[in-house]
Amino acid sequence: MAAMILLPSLRRTLFCVLLAFPAAVPALAQDYGIQTYTLKNGMKILVEEDHSIPNIALYIFYKIGSRNERPGTTGISHFFEHMMFNGSQKYGPKQFDETMEAAGGSNNAYTSNDLTVYQDWFPRSALEKVFDLEADRIHNLSLDEKMIESERGVVASERRSSVDANNSGLLQEQLEAAAYTAHPYQWPVVGWMADIESWTMEDLKRHFEIGYSPANATMVVVGDVTGAEILRLAQRYMEPIPSRGLPPPVTTREPEQLGERRTIVRKFAQLPLVMIAYHTPESAHRDYYALQVLRTILFDGESSRMYKRLVDQDQLAISVRGSYGFAFDPTLFRITAQPKAGIRPETVENAIYEELNRLREGLVTDQEIQKAKNILLADFYRRMKTISGKANALGNYEMFFGNYRKMFTAADDFNRVTKEDVQRIVRTYFTDRNRTVATLAPENGGAQ
Amino acid sequence: MMKMPRRALLAGAAMALANSWMYAQTDPARPLVPPYEKIQLRNGVTLLLMEQHEVPIVSFNVIVKAGSVADPMGKEGVASLTADLLRKGTTARTADQIAVDLDFIGGDFDVNAALDFTSASAEFLAKDLGQGLDLVAEVLTKPSFAQAEFDKLLQQRINGIKSAKDQASNVIARYFNAYLYGSHPYGRPVGGDETSLAGVRREDVVNFYQTYYSAANVIIAAVGDFRIPEMRRLLESRFDSWPAKSAPQTQVSEPEPVRGKRVLLVDKPDSTQTYFYIGNLGIRRTDPDRVAVAVVNTLFGGRFTSRLNTALRVDSGLTYGASSQFDQRQHRGPFQISTYTRNESTEKAIDMALEILKALHEQGVTDAELQSVKTYMKGQFPPTIETSDRLASNIARLEFYGLDKSDVDSYYAKVDAVDQDAARRIIRQHFPLENLALVLVGKAPEIRQIAAKYSSVPLDFKSVAQPGF
Repeated sequence: MAAMILLPSLRRTLFCVLLAFPAAVPALAQDYGIQTYTLKNGMKILVEEDHSIPNIALYIFYKIGSRNERPGTTGISHFFEHMMFNGSQKYGPKQFDETMEAAGGSNNAYTSNDLTVYQDWFPRSALEKVFDLEADRIHNLSLDEKMIESERGVVASERRSSVDANNSGLLQEQLEAAAYTAHPYQWPVVGWMADIESWTMEDLKRHFEIGYSPANATMVVVGDVTGAEILRLAQRYMEPIPSRGLPPPVTTREPEQLGERRTIVRKFAQLPLVMIAYHTPESAHRDYYALQVLRTILFDGESSRMYKRLVDQDQLAISVRGSYGFAFDPTLFRITAQPKAGIRPETVENAIYEELNRLREGLVTDQEIQKAKNILLADFYRRMKTISGKANALGNYEMFFGNYRKMFTAADDFNRVTKEDVQRIVRTYFTDRNRTVATLAPENGGAQ
Repeated sequence: MMKMPRRALLAGAAMALANSWMYAQTDPARPLVPPYEKIQLRNGVTLLLMEQHEVPIVSFNVIVKAGSVADPMGKEGVASLTADLLRKGTTARTADQIAVDLDFIGGDFDVNAALDFTSASAEFLAKDLGQGLDLVAEVLTKPSFAQAEFDKLLQQRINGIKSAKDQASNVIARYFNAYLYGSHPYGRPVGGDETSLAGVRREDVVNFYQTYYSAANVIIAAVGDFRIPEMRRLLESRFDSWPAKSAPQTQVSEPEPVRGKRVLLVDKPDSTQTYFYIGNLGIRRTDPDRVAVAVVNTLFGGRFTSRLNTALRVDSGLTYGASSQFDQRQHRGPFQISTYTRNESTEKAIDMALEILKALHEQGVTDAELQSVKTYMKGQFPPTIETSDRLASNIARLEFYGLDKSDVDSYYAKVDAVDQDAARRIIRQHFPLENLALVLVGKAPEIRQIAAKYSSVPLDFKSVAQPGF
């Protein structure tokens, strides 16, 4: 527990307060300094007061993403996210952004396999305007044929830049398509190009119906606000929005993988690229923390095992990374290595397997596991330095662990991971038969 | 897994300036940067110390006043290699020990060379301050530059350039810089290229370090959870032994803007989109018009509802994003419009970008645009000085450029002062129109004729597979 210290603002303070506010205003539950409330239509609100700058980060998380899609309309969640900026009843096309920026605010949004998230960053003076803008588009989105066609071009361009013009984006898409046979994590969040070119107004309307009920949304507000004023604004702007049904549950489960899968991409390139993926559990699974500790031991920093072996000692690659992110359903632990010119991808692959074997056969050292925990804790603090970092982290823990409090206990959860746990998860998940390998092989004119 | 953002971050969108916050923006007369102390050590090291007790973190930003413009001719990349090698071993610790010690305390520590200077940023939990600072001081004052580490890094760098060239968006700025500045030092690649790196030896790095890394050439900014007298003592005890020695000033001439229209086409055969930059020389960091230029640029190409993004993305769907930037340096940095579009719409997108630029010159800006952009820039400012690392970086740069915090404290007043007349003058003076450099990275057989159309002289041509930029 060497690195266990807690910021005053993160210290556990379990109590409830009744806010001094006009009668009939309900209590906001408060825990770890986070005030929570659920509106009558089911929308959940989380507020953290932070007056360090006169600004506010307001994020709305919808539990809908590419995992809720079907073949033929892949990418519709992401496309719909774009359409949320293209006009509603009160604020017509372009007016969402124009009004937001004229009030001093900026915004963005992202779609993942699991979520669609809208992010607003603005000065205190714009608070009510932002509520008006957000409520209008959730309540009264209008889908305009002309805007759909124009936005289709934007998303096609986004796909070209993130896949066609990005070798790791391209290889990741092929890797996931090979690693999953049944589960919707097999298709890209941005969607296949043919689907981008062919989805219709009806597809968008259906997506709005299934995904955008207030009961499917969680609003997180961090910054120069009070819980009472957020509650008042939420009741005025958000509560009148009628509740509808929730997205149909995703019932498909990926069957156990029974043998290694390999896929290859041949294209013009200067250097090859290697990606290796193992099926691993969802974020809410008890092995999540041990997997993050393992990822840190293997990949974080220049003293990590994979960096030392592949980049420093054997000099096979110029970089090696590991990723294991938040997910509702069982997901992939992905390893990406960039081999040097003249190094065969198989050589890089074998060095990676040797390092995994070392962990299968022997335990990590005390120092290694403590270092990993210290890194995870320091990373946590760095994410919490800004109001936007806090809003993002609170929302993600609320979504993927079902409770924002898990964010505050994460340090303890990481600390409980033992050397034996690390060995057990390597033995459980990092097996040959559970592995998918994607390789990019340069051709015509590349340096190889 | 994969996340698709709605928009790429507009680099330098609002031209974030320096500094800190807590002095809420409600009172425009109050300074934006919290107070800090400037202390000169006997050997010439400059310390900038600011207390911020909100979170138990300490951030450092160190500037060494020598960047890649000081690279020996033909050995581009030396400043950058020197910066990277610092962490690869000292007289007391091996590269491996440094990595273990840094990772064990969860510290962040990076050293990077830019054109005008080299900067190191480091951040530690306050409880690890002593250990963290030991590392930073040792790395800066006692590097060993082991031959084996040099050899490894050089190979990584050469491969890193190949890897970068597999993604047009990673390298178009390097091609544009080289093309815009020509033989001027700002045209030389900061990280070197395949050819220059092949000729660099360990001795070049040692020479660079011994010439430029001297006490009088160093600014250390510390911001965070400490008391100033204590931090002064901690820094003095670690940096006081650094010999006082003056470093040569790198003389850089004023760059010359491009005359006429010049076009470079870079062939990348697998492209389905053309990436392009259009621009010319912009402004210096110390230009008195800097904030006014930012106001005009923000409405022209520096935010989502800017004229460029509205035309090329929102109204036409030609691209995922179109923007413009003024990069600022000691001498005039580049101004560029940047975007990308599918091969078949390359001509349409370039024409449109040029029309938007022309309309800015012909029509100026409206009062409504000015009002919106001013509120936007002021509203977006506080997060740029929200954290200790941003404050440290900002005050270190102010010191490097010979500015003080009044440069930042006057930000809101300067934003507010821009009216239509001022905007017209800024456009005439700082936004190019007839004289432009264009760089296109894309599939040459499909866009060569289009590229040639924009050039007043024969088209320049390269392939990404060729060494250099």
